[in-house]
This record gives sequence, C-alpha cells and structure tokens, in this order.
Amino acid sequence: MSYLKNSWFRISILLVAVGLIFILARLNMVESTSYADLRTALTTTTATFGTLLGIITAGLMFTQGKFSELASELTEKSSDYLAEVLSLEKIQSIETRLLALRKAFIQLAANTTITEERNLYERIITKGSSIFVNFAVLLNLKLKQQGLPDADLLVSEMDPNLYKVYQKRRQIIKKEWQIFFLIKQVVDAWEAPTAFFVEKPHSESALQADLKSSISVLKLKENIDKSSTNIRSEVAKTLSDLNDEISEISKRLHEDRIPQLLPQMKQASTIRGKYFYLALVFIATPLLVNLLILPQLSETTATFFQPIISITSLLSVMGVIFLLLYIHKILNV
Amino acid sequence: MREVKKTAEKRIKDLLATHSFPSLEVIIPILEKAGHGEQELAAQFYDTYTSLAKGIKEILGLKDKNMKTLAKVWEILTIFGGEKIQPIELSESKFSFSTTDCPMVQVTKDINSNVKGRYCDLLCAAGSKSLMDTLLSPRKGTCTWNKAMIKGVGKCTVVFELVKD
Repeated sequence: MSYLKNSWFRISILLVAVGLIFILARLNMVESTSYADLRTALTTTTATFGTLLGIITAGLMFTQGKFSELASELTEKSSDYLAEVLSLEKIQSIETRLLALRKAFIQLAANTTITEERNLYERIITKGSSIFVNFAVLLNLKLKQQGLPDADLLVSEMDPNLYKVYQKRRQIIKKEWQIFFLIKQVVDAWEAPTAFFVEKPHSESALQADLKSSISVLKLKENIDKSSTNIRSEVAKTLSDLNDEISEISKRLHEDRIPQLLPQMKQASTIRGKYFYLALVFIATPLLVNLLILPQLSETTATFFQPIISITSLLSVMGVIFLLLYIHKILNV
Repeated sequence: MREVKKTAEKRIKDLLATHSFPSLEVIIPILEKAGHGEQELAAQFYDTYTSLAKGIKEILGLKDKNMKTLAKVWEILTIFGGEKIQPIELSESKFSFSTTDCPMVQVTKDINSNVKGRYCDLLCAAGSKSLMDTLLSPRKGTCTWNKAMIKGVGKCTVVFELVKD
C-alpha cells in the first residue's frame, strides 16, 4: 500500500516537473533567440546529455558488479542457512510452538469480554501468525531444495487469509538469497530492530512486550480462574523456548552481517532498475531528439525547433541534478 | 577492566530482560474494566523490583545496605530502562530525585487521572517497599512521591528517607 502511495507521489512529482518545463519552454518561446544561440544551446545540451549518459552507464556497470558480488555472497550464505541454520527439526519445532501459541491466544481472545484484552491477544495472534507464515515458506523452500515432498501440514493450519499471505510471500521469493528478507522479518518481529550503532537500552519488540503483558494479565487472573495458571506457564515456556531458538538464528544473521547486506542489495537493485529507466527517459530520449534535430537546424528551421531546444535545455539541467542524486545513491551501495 | 565492565552491563541487560515489567499502558485499562487484579499487579511489581534489586546488587558487588546503595541501584534501573532522573539530594538518611519520565505517563488518556493516581500510589508503594526491604533492611525507610506528572503540574519528585530510631 505504501509502495503504491510512493509511486503515485513520484509520478505526481514527475508530472509537475514536466508541466513546469513546458511552461518555462513556452515562456522562452516568446523571446526571440538567434540561430547562433540556438545552435550553441543545442550542441551544449547534446554534449551534456552525452556526458551524463556516459557517467550513468559507468555507474550502472559499477552497480551491476556490486549487485552480482552481493548476490553471490548472499546466495552462498543462503544455502548454508537452509542446510544448517534452519534445520528441519528446528523449523518444525518453532512452527509447533508458534501454532500452540496461536491456538492458545485465539481461545483467550474468544473468551474475554474486555476489548483491550482482546486487542492485546489479537495483536499477538497477528504478529505470531506472520512469523508462522515466514517459517512455513522457509520450510517449503527447504523441502524443495532437498527434493522432499511438502506434506502441507502447516498450510492446513492456516485460515484463508493467512494462506493468501503465505502464497504471496512464497511467490516473492524468486532467488534463493531472498530467503534472508523472510528471516530478517522474523528476527525484526521477534526482537526490536536496532539502528546502526544506536542500541536502545533494554529494548524489546512490540510482540515480546505484548506477550509479557499477556503473561502478566494471566497471572493476575489466576486468583479467579485457575485455568489461567496452566495457560500462563505454557505461554511463558513457549516464549522462552522460541526466544532461545530465534535468538540463535538472529545471532548468526548478525554475525554474517546480513542486516547490513540486505539494504545494500536493495539500493543496488533500485539503481539498476528504477534509476536506469529514469535515465533512459529523461536523458537518453532528449539526447536522441537533439541528435535528430542537430543536422536539420538551419536559420530557416530555427524558429520551428526553438521550443524543443528550450525543453531539452531545461531537461539537461534536470539531468545534472538527477546525476548528483544518482551518484549519492551509488555511494551508499 | 573494560571486559569486566562489559560483562556487568550484559548481565544487567539480561537481568532486566528476565525480570521485565508488564506494559502498564496495556494492563491498566484491562484491570480497570475487569474490576480486579490491582493487588496482584502490585505484588508482581514488588517481586520484580526485589529480583532486580538483588540481581543488580550482586552484579555490582554492592555489600552495604544503605541509602547510597539504594540510590545506585535506582540509578542503574533508570539508566537501563531508558528513563532520566535528576538527583536532588543524597545523604546517609535521604535520597531524593525528580523525573519527567514514568511508565504511568504512557497509560492512555482515556483512563481518568483519579484511576491513574490510584495505580500510581499502588505501584510506587510496591516498588519503593521492595527496594527499601531489599536495600535498607533491617533499617526502616519511607518513600513519598507527589504525582506531579499525573496531575500535569511538572516533574514528579520522589523522596526516600530513613526512619529515625
């Protein structure tokens, strides 16, 4: 949803920019410009576009190299993760615990009449289910990698909505290294994600805070409802076991610097894709237009080509700004 | 030396992770609607503070039972809990500080200030009793707080004082 909003925002900015260029070009048209000036403007902007395209192509090659390097590093590591870190026993054990947790909280949510309490349990169900789905996808990939049939036992525990999420996440994974997005999502949901070098003292994730609050609520209820005691001790044990298992995965993930490599990968991918197409549209196209006009430009055709030359001249200024942005992005890869 | 310091820091973080407080923001509206559980929550606070105070005392090797030990433990608890306090006075018989940060502040605005005040008294009483029982005993102490933040009149001031024999 936010991606869509972002896209609309960018498209609106581009449309506004294009509109502005047309208005400025129209204003420039009013003033008469000499043939010599137009020729100078055309050759200068053509040279600028050529240089920009050259630099951007070099940048693209650099980014492509970096992307391939990162992809091969992550692919190599992802095989290790599927083979060793995420053993079949480990995934099954985590999934069993998450499933037990989910069932217990669905029951608790159904039994309470207090809205705040129900909201607390539902938050846990939602976050826990998201982790459950990620591990189900990882299990599916692992079984595929090992050439084993998927019994779909976990899928049978999913409701239609959860199954949709499962399918969507499974389809997102096109390359093996992309499993790290799933693993990082799990770790971030379980532990509070920390920014570089800034570690908040004693930070815990929203899920852990909610689980602890629920344990506390169940403890408070023990005097009235004895069955709370069993549920509380089960939840507390599950929480502790899950914590041990996910912490182990998280430790390895941080040791392998995956949380640092993934944003670099994302950045390189953006430069290779979105930025390259923008360069093609806003730099290569006007360059082509200029190259087509250049041989045709004479004193008689100058007035006819003047608005187009004004537009491409303004686009070349935008191109330089774009280049600075592009370089800034490349330096962050 | 640095290694030793780091180990102590890690041990305190682990201790806080093991004995963490429930989120009041979540718990209080539930208890308020349920109409019971206040005393149990106070008991949880007492137990949690006792475990934390004993743990920090052990990690830092604090042997004396006096106001300075209480101040030190309180300082560690607030630093690691991400809260800020401003010490006002620390002597053999008195420790006072002011704070603009307290878990009660996070409790939703839907809960009225009287209810917040009741829980504030309940939890401060449980927490301070636990600290005094663990860190001052056999000497007796008192603790007062002015609930300024709940009343919306500025910083809250907390005063621990030893009872004169």
